[in-house]
Amino acid sequence: MTITRRTLFLFSFLTMILSADGQEWRPPTTLRKLPNGLTVVLSEDHNAPTVGLCISYGIGSRLEPVGRSGFAHLFEHMMFEGTPAAPKGIFSRVVESGGGFVNGQTDNDFTQYFEGAPVSALDAMLWLEADRMKTLDFSSKNLENQRNVVEEEVRVNVLNQPYGLFYIIDLPQKAFDKYPNAHSGYGDFQDLNAANIDDVHRFYDQYYAPNNAVLAIVGDFSANEVFAKVEKYFANVPAKPTPPRPDVSELPQAAERRMTQEDKLAKVPALAIGYRMPPRTTHDAVVGAVTGELLHNGQASRLYQSLVKEKQVALSVSGGLNLNGAGPFEYDGPVLMISFIIFPGGKTQGQVLAAYDAAIAELSKKGPSPAELERIRSKMRADWYSNLELPFSRAQALSHATLFDGTYERAYSVPEEVSKVTVDDVRTFTAKYLVKTNRTIINRVPKLADKAAAVEGAQ
Amino acid sequence: MKMLSLSLALLLGAYTYAQKDQPLPKDLPSFGPEKSLQAPEVKQTKLENGLTIWLVPRPGFPKVSFTLAVAGGYAADPQDRPGFSQLLTATIDQGTKQRSARQIAEDMQGAGGDVSSIAVRDAIRLSASVLSSKTAEALTVLADLAENASFPDEEVTLAKHNLTDQLEQEETDPSFQANRAIAKVLFGDGPYGVFSPTKESLAAAAPAELRSEFDRRFRPDHAALIAIGDFHSEEMLSLVRGKFATWHAPASPPVAAVAVPSISPLHAIFIVPRPDSVQTTLTFGAPGPHRGEPDFEATEVANAIYGGTFSSRLVTNIREDKGYTYTPGAFLQSFRSAGVLRTDADVRNAVTGASFNEILYEMNRMATTSPTETEFQQAKHNLVGIEAISLQSNDAVAGELADLWTRGLPPEEIGNYGKKIAAITADEVNAAAKKYFPASRTSVVAVGEEKVIREALAPFGLPLHPAP
Repeated sequence: MTITRRTLFLFSFLTMILSADGQEWRPPTTLRKLPNGLTVVLSEDHNAPTVGLCISYGIGSRLEPVGRSGFAHLFEHMMFEGTPAAPKGIFSRVVESGGGFVNGQTDNDFTQYFEGAPVSALDAMLWLEADRMKTLDFSSKNLENQRNVVEEEVRVNVLNQPYGLFYIIDLPQKAFDKYPNAHSGYGDFQDLNAANIDDVHRFYDQYYAPNNAVLAIVGDFSANEVFAKVEKYFANVPAKPTPPRPDVSELPQAAERRMTQEDKLAKVPALAIGYRMPPRTTHDAVVGAVTGELLHNGQASRLYQSLVKEKQVALSVSGGLNLNGAGPFEYDGPVLMISFIIFPGGKTQGQVLAAYDAAIAELSKKGPSPAELERIRSKMRADWYSNLELPFSRAQALSHATLFDGTYERAYSVPEEVSKVTVDDVRTFTAKYLVKTNRTIINRVPKLADKAAAVEGAQ
Repeated sequence: MKMLSLSLALLLGAYTYAQKDQPLPKDLPSFGPEKSLQAPEVKQTKLENGLTIWLVPRPGFPKVSFTLAVAGGYAADPQDRPGFSQLLTATIDQGTKQRSARQIAEDMQGAGGDVSSIAVRDAIRLSASVLSSKTAEALTVLADLAENASFPDEEVTLAKHNLTDQLEQEETDPSFQANRAIAKVLFGDGPYGVFSPTKESLAAAAPAELRSEFDRRFRPDHAALIAIGDFHSEEMLSLVRGKFATWHAPASPPVAAVAVPSISPLHAIFIVPRPDSVQTTLTFGAPGPHRGEPDFEATEVANAIYGGTFSSRLVTNIREDKGYTYTPGAFLQSFRSAGVLRTDADVRNAVTGASFNEILYEMNRMATTSPTETEFQQAKHNLVGIEAISLQSNDAVAGELADLWTRGLPPEEIGNYGKKIAAITADEVNAAAKKYFPASRTSVVAVGEEKVIREALAPFGLPLHPAP
């Protein structure tokens, strides 16, 4: 359908294309590269006088060093801690006073930095992003400060929460065997505390290079003019050699894995189930994405209808492929399809699992009905478009796709790929991948209230 | 159509001033010329049955967002059924005379959406964001729910069970506990004092009550249908007319707007004991202006300087300088007839007292000294820009219009927020800060280890009470 130009300085506009059903939506987009290897994706959007940009670096939690779990994320915080030219505080002050917002996010397979603002702030934002791609402050004081902030982040999201995100943090650790896939991206406090400024230097030198990054910009501008600005600010950022990518693939799983955890804060039990998925670039992976949505997406989904409504053994069901990352289409290594189920204290784990297994068996035997498949295609198309609505969010999708594939095509082709999945595909996929030997289960049990222990804990 | 524009001079002024304390990088490019924001243009109609229709055609992006808002949310719940609206919203899409719960979910999924049904204090909103090629299918479902929701007994029974278990689960979440407690502390038994149902109110609720509350609130003459997205107004209007024309208002009286509550909350600390907590969840609440009051926008600017942005004083102090917390934040909660200034922070147990001290300090600093010209200009510019960004989202525009309608404000207000912010003077911000930010006006809820909280907060000499 589309032609993607990866040639240096070759420029092509794709106009909006409507398919027969009026649904195919493809905003004009173009890709270019700077001589230092920085990939630039530009998409004009003149609906409002704003701009969104996202730089994704090809490093995430998966490839952080052994003994330094949580470091990719801690490092992401350090990217906001200033440079010699723009000390701590300047970045967010400039963007916010320009009418915008700024944030960063660490995924398993990328780390992204993004801003949205009135287009009048674009030059300043590009300058700031280029500045922190050249060097950082490398301040031990700021590292200590952000170590504290990150530990509070872990407390507020994990340690002080019922369930503690066990279904996305603990489940992959049990399901996979290799360190890259089997450690927490939030990190152990011991590892976070061991991180020092030399680690920050080393990580920055290894991974934060223009040739390991994709800059996507979407908004109210002329693509040619903005590309000239990008050249102006980024052309003098030197390329660096990046480490060869290690083999992160796993040996096939031989048997079902199970564990039970106690939860001090939860009052209602829960269950998490994770199946290993095929590699992202295969058709099976798209089928996996569709199957994941058929099972989990909203009240019309199979598991909601079966577990919550018909058998009434669960309070809620959520999940899908790469639930612990950026969703069913954006990853670059082994992933799981995860189901997270909260169930009433009056039901047993066995009852819940039996109902769950029956739902999987039904799908494996008969596949979805054609009408059901058509519905989920519409839902996935609509959900994917929502990813692309706001400029900063479209910039994210474009930069992730380009980081993984060298072309942004996938940011627009997901609906079409989804529409090619058949009833037979889903049935075959379910029978092959959603099997007991390919899964890991964590049973999360509330710890019975113990007043004596609670008082002791307070001391 | 509203046009917004900001003077570049204001901005350059801000930069010049900023150089006095923290100089900007010498090579940093200055901001470019401002482009004015074109606020969404709303086409307004009223159907014969009284239903307000607000349409915003926005070609291109192939989706449409619908919101049906009706008057009366948590604040309209019967006195002996606190939080009843949650059960109402959980069951409204669980069956009509024509469709089962499953059909409703499947029909909407086929249109690319989900039925989102939420209660806020002053309204209930049914929303769906769908493919623009499937708007008729989505509207059919929404109209059927609005007119014919039937609250089948077995669905109500299941929802009551599940919401009761869900409540038990939510009660383990510190921010849920803090939100529930601060509402009670500030508003007592008044209509804005309820944040969630109770086990008792859920147990007592009957399907017949749901049907009668539904009839009372879901009436076209006190409802608004909002649509934004890829459609032609005339086609959408005729579609809406076709789907909603048979909906009729009852003769019974509608839900009345909440009267402005007279409140004088205690300057005290209210403790929610939560054994095994590794953080103290601190929530500060003080009476403030609500949207529509003359000093609302000035207070928004003051709040942005105080704690509403990443570069604000509070975040700079307790996060970026001291590392006490990941999540400090301040915002204005604005109901139809009351407002609250909120500050929230989850801090590790060991720095509970130190964090409390800094938060009080930053509040009193706002109340007693004037922000710098730099802070003032940056805050204004940020609020105006963020409005421009958020109005690009169809869902956000639909939500904003629903909010305006709930307050009895006209849709033209959607472009006015930024214009009002841009016109605020430093004197107005000073006056608002002096009036609303003294720490002595706040009530505090602290969720966590009781012993930690009592010891850490004792030095402040405030009364310590169990949360209501």
